[in-house]
Amino acid sequence: MNITIFLQQFLNGLSIGSVYAIFALGYTLVYSILGIINLAHGAIFTLGAYFTYALMGGTFGLNGLLANAALPIKLRFPIALILGSTLAGLVGVGVERIAFRPLRRKNSDTLLTVVSSLGVAVVIVNVIQYLVGAESYTFPANTYRGLPAAINFGSEANPIPIRTVQIIIFLVSVVVVAILTWFINYTKYGKAMQAIAEDATTASLLGIDSDRFIILTFFISSFLAGMAGTLVASSVSIAGPYFGIGFGLRGLAVIVLGGLGSIPGAVIGGLVIGLVEAFVPADYSGYKDAVAFGILFIMLLVRPQGLLGRKFVQKV
Amino acid sequence: MNKYTRFTAIFAVCAMLASCNGASNSTNANNTASNTTTTSSTIPIGMALAQTSNVALLGQEEVAGAKIAEKYFNEKGGINGTPIRLVFQDTGGDEAGAINAFQTLINKDKVAGIVGPTLSQQAFSASPIADRAKVPVIGPSNTAKGIPEIGDYVARVSAPVSVVAPNSVKAALKQNPNIKKVAVFYAQNDAFNKSETEIFQQTVKDLKLDLVTVQKFQTSDNDFQAQATNALNLKPDLVIISGLAADGGNLVKQLRELGYKGIIIGGNGLNTSNVFAVCKDLCDGVMIAQAYSPEHPGEINAAFRKAYLDQFKKEPPQFSAQTFAAVQVYVEALKVLDSKSKVATMPIAQLRTELNKQLLTGKYNTPLGEIAFTPIGEIIQKDFYVAQIKMDKDGSNGKFAFLK
Repeated sequence: MNITIFLQQFLNGLSIGSVYAIFALGYTLVYSILGIINLAHGAIFTLGAYFTYALMGGTFGLNGLLANAALPIKLRFPIALILGSTLAGLVGVGVERIAFRPLRRKNSDTLLTVVSSLGVAVVIVNVIQYLVGAESYTFPANTYRGLPAAINFGSEANPIPIRTVQIIIFLVSVVVVAILTWFINYTKYGKAMQAIAEDATTASLLGIDSDRFIILTFFISSFLAGMAGTLVASSVSIAGPYFGIGFGLRGLAVIVLGGLGSIPGAVIGGLVIGLVEAFVPADYSGYKDAVAFGILFIMLLVRPQGLLGRKFVQKV
Repeated sequence: MNKYTRFTAIFAVCAMLASCNGASNSTNANNTASNTTTTSSTIPIGMALAQTSNVALLGQEEVAGAKIAEKYFNEKGGINGTPIRLVFQDTGGDEAGAINAFQTLINKDKVAGIVGPTLSQQAFSASPIADRAKVPVIGPSNTAKGIPEIGDYVARVSAPVSVVAPNSVKAALKQNPNIKKVAVFYAQNDAFNKSETEIFQQTVKDLKLDLVTVQKFQTSDNDFQAQATNALNLKPDLVIISGLAADGGNLVKQLRELGYKGIIIGGNGLNTSNVFAVCKDLCDGVMIAQAYSPEHPGEINAAFRKAYLDQFKKEPPQFSAQTFAAVQVYVEALKVLDSKSKVATMPIAQLRTELNKQLLTGKYNTPLGEIAFTPIGEIIQKDFYVAQIKMDKDGSNGKFAFLK
């Protein structure tokens, strides 16, 4: 492998890995508060991308109920990204109300809640397909207006072009992780979330309204999923309603690798999986998932609590 | 249950979700069928096309062509007064979906013949089922090597890639005679694209060009930067892509973003206006060989083109024209049969066998021009074209401009 390809693949890996990281952070937040994996997370990832696409004034194709429909507004990408992710966050709050809260009230087994979230995922994906069809959609050509399509990190004679979108994804992800870390560790809300994660009963005895913070957690988690979906779609287009399912599964590999419920673990897990995938030879691109899950199985055998996870002690 | 056993359970559920994916595509059928047979007042013809999944991009165009044909021929009196009825079954994008659709059409809908499936990959597993059941099949867009050879009951109206594809390489050389180094990309998980790339690679060698690299990808991929970089480091003057609309369009986009300036040739999988939504303004200039031109002279093409333009406000694509032609072949063959003995009262097994014999002997003046079949069901077609994609300034829409 020559240095050009190595550098390119390294940066590609960082970029996709950083998206995995913010996506997996969403899983981690919900897991640390409720001890549950939200399987609708991948579907919300897809939904976020469609929301942003619609807010940028994108039209939907021939296939689906909303054929040829478009919103009358054409927002710029950064605004559409934030609004689209916010809408995804609100859908996440809805998912909590419909699929999580009723079961939590009845003290159901957590596995039932997981199955219920899986049901929500299937419904969301099918509703998307019903409304806008199975087509791929690419964000408008002027998404990153004014910026060149690629930046050359090499020389004129020996170019190392990196697509600008990859760099933007990486930078946005770094900023998002930084803000989230600050929010969790240094704000009253973040500390309250940590308290609930530690022990929900004690937290509520101390006057923390746990339902409110669970809603907040779902909002942030789904906001992150929607943002990750939009960022990936701005690089490789929205590949149809099933677009997020593969990411949903890979996100699980990321949090297992990093350690369930660990925020730095999700970041490191994301970067590791992104980089490993980037170095899968191009001819074997179909095996990327197999590599990600191979890592997951090895991790489960060698260190089931993940890289940064806490060892779980069964309390009798 | 401790946390880790619970996690394993969750994981199993996830795996289920992933595998349900394909299944839900195929069960999502647009089921307009009833239990009628040919003894009723209409003659059912089965349409096994991809209406969902990422292949729906192509399947939708075929559905459009079929519906125009149904209306057109029924307005002209159908089969000597008996209207035809198209029965649509969704195949989704995979083999299992195509097999389901074929079996439903054969056993439940009792169709006289089938038009489909969309992909060659699907034809290799679904068409043998129709052949064993002695039900005629006309492939509207199966262009891989070996389709008519599947069996006596399998024919196609889509000219094989070996005949169509070389035209685009010659057109590229005409535009830029200095082309020397050629990079070829193909989707390795798809039968059609594998077959198409062999033809392209052979054409490149026959024209004494230098094939500098062959890069593989999957139709489900969306990140092609590794393959694009590998190829661009070898500084090709011509790139040839065999893929489907979503992946092929994405590859075009990423090649252009990474700075490739030369000519790009797309295979038949990119031969759809749906590719415009994927690579937008960067689709501009992609050259694709064609088995159909909207400008083809003749009354039937004029009628077909007008019907399509009225409904969709754009020029009809090749797949729509080919599906129209496939329906037309059935209609005209049924008419000839009907003039000998009433098809509406013929037992279904006999009708299917007679129809298959008849359709292989006829000559048809279709929107594709005059076509006929070889005894094994391969299309004989005279006219081929090369088109180049021209996008609007804002990249939201485009068209195939036919090269002279």
